[in-house]
Amino acid sequence: MTQAVPSKPYVRLRRASDSVVGGWKRIGSQAQFYAKTLASIPDAVVNYRTELWRLIAQMGLGAGALAVVGGTVAIVGFLTITTGALVAVQGYNQLASVGFEALTGFASAFFNVRLIVPGTTSVALSATIGAGATAQIGAMRINEEVDALEVIGIRSVTYLASTRVLAGVVVVIPLYCVAVMMAFLAARMGTTAIYGQGSGVYDHYFSTFLNPTDLIWSFFQVVAITVVIMLVHTYYGYNASGGPAGVGEAVGRAVRTSMVIAAIEIIFISLAVYGQSGNFNLAG
Amino acid sequence: MVTYLGGKPVRAVGGFFAMTLDTFVQMVKPPFAWKEYILQSWFVARVSVLPALMLTMPYSVLLVFTFNILLTEFGASDFSGTGAAIGTVNQIGPIVTVLVVSGAGATAMCADLGARTIRDEIDALRVMGINPIQALVVPRVLAATTVALALSASVILVGLTGAFFFTVFVQHVSPGAFVAGLTLLTGVADVIVSLVKATLFGMAAGLIACYKGISVGGGPAGVGNAVNETVVFTFMVLFAINIIVTAVGIQFTVQ
Repeated sequence: MTQAVPSKPYVRLRRASDSVVGGWKRIGSQAQFYAKTLASIPDAVVNYRTELWRLIAQMGLGAGALAVVGGTVAIVGFLTITTGALVAVQGYNQLASVGFEALTGFASAFFNVRLIVPGTTSVALSATIGAGATAQIGAMRINEEVDALEVIGIRSVTYLASTRVLAGVVVVIPLYCVAVMMAFLAARMGTTAIYGQGSGVYDHYFSTFLNPTDLIWSFFQVVAITVVIMLVHTYYGYNASGGPAGVGEAVGRAVRTSMVIAAIEIIFISLAVYGQSGNFNLAG
Repeated sequence: MVTYLGGKPVRAVGGFFAMTLDTFVQMVKPPFAWKEYILQSWFVARVSVLPALMLTMPYSVLLVFTFNILLTEFGASDFSGTGAAIGTVNQIGPIVTVLVVSGAGATAMCADLGARTIRDEIDALRVMGINPIQALVVPRVLAATTVALALSASVILVGLTGAFFFTVFVQHVSPGAFVAGLTLLTGVADVIVSLVKATLFGMAAGLIACYKGISVGGGPAGVGNAVNETVVFTFMVLFAINIIVTAVGIQFTVQ
């Protein structure tokens, strides 16, 4: 038996207002999820410690086929090697064209720390541990495992999201050390071994202009980026819908959202830290 | 035991090259799937344009900001346009294009093909005598290539515009000096190398996404993992291509 429903008045107006209201609602629900996730981190440390350790181990080593290529550490290391080598290729040749190739060591110390390594690491994190988290949580949501967790009395946001945010922060600290070392090494190898600059010249300008304060700030930058990346990725995984294709779409949407947000976050932190004085002194 | 440990990744690499070869052969064989090609191009462009513009702005602003700290110290901030042009045309343009085409376009392609694979729709196509490589993979790979090429041009323009506004209105460099500095070290050859890079990136991203998509196994979790692997492998391959093309291209562009 079909039921006749009277058509609603002002359809277009209603549709337009619905999309605006829907957008606001989405922002609200995201903010709520993020606040809940961050507030539940102490709970995760106290009650779900086993899951936390498991996630830390898994994020460091990678899951599935990613473990075969060496896990997160190898992927992040590889990406920063290529961008570090880029400093040698682009920096050396560009500086040589104006007769300044001696300053390649300076370019490595300055641009790697402030610009290239945080940018590359944020992209690599969103692709590896971020996308992995979305894929895992999304698959659990599609298989109704998240609801099952709630039914057996496990707080799903704490158990799935808070643990991952904290594990991401724990994993990123050694990971970032590897990333910075790889970028420096690749830039030095490229400049001295391939382009044939004297290693004394390179090391002199490198160590003269390597500012330890900058390194610490870039560390803070990456930890802050990791928190945001993990929050975005867990949100998209937790709210995945629409079957197997939905999980894949959620991963894609999470990757592009978190890359954009990470880029905006890097520029804001950089402006806040270096904006006033530049924190740079050529005279040493 | 050794074959078990080493077999899987090697077989995946072999499968990827086999599919790539098939794709190139089918690309020149009629009939070409025009409708699918146009639909896919439109789809990739639609999901990529906004993230690309949102991503290129912060990166180019960050670049000129960091570079101008240096130039101000030398007393040479008139040359900020030169730094912006080198960074944006040679690196940020192609790299942002890569990140977006693989992060937005390739993931969606892989998810779409993966969902069809686990529902056995690809096998159904084969049963009906339709070659899935010709009908699905070729148009997707070409769409990713086309959109990457088109996108990199707009990314470079938007990046330079963003750098111009930040340098002129926030860091108070004279606009004329900025524009005059743009072409000091960056020429037509750099732009050509940059577009070649973007084209190669788009093709590699499309091939990896399609391979991961049609070789999915293991239900919904499998599709999610395949998309994750697509992102990781495309980033790795693309960064590797970038360093090689940069090292080769720089021989022609820098005098």
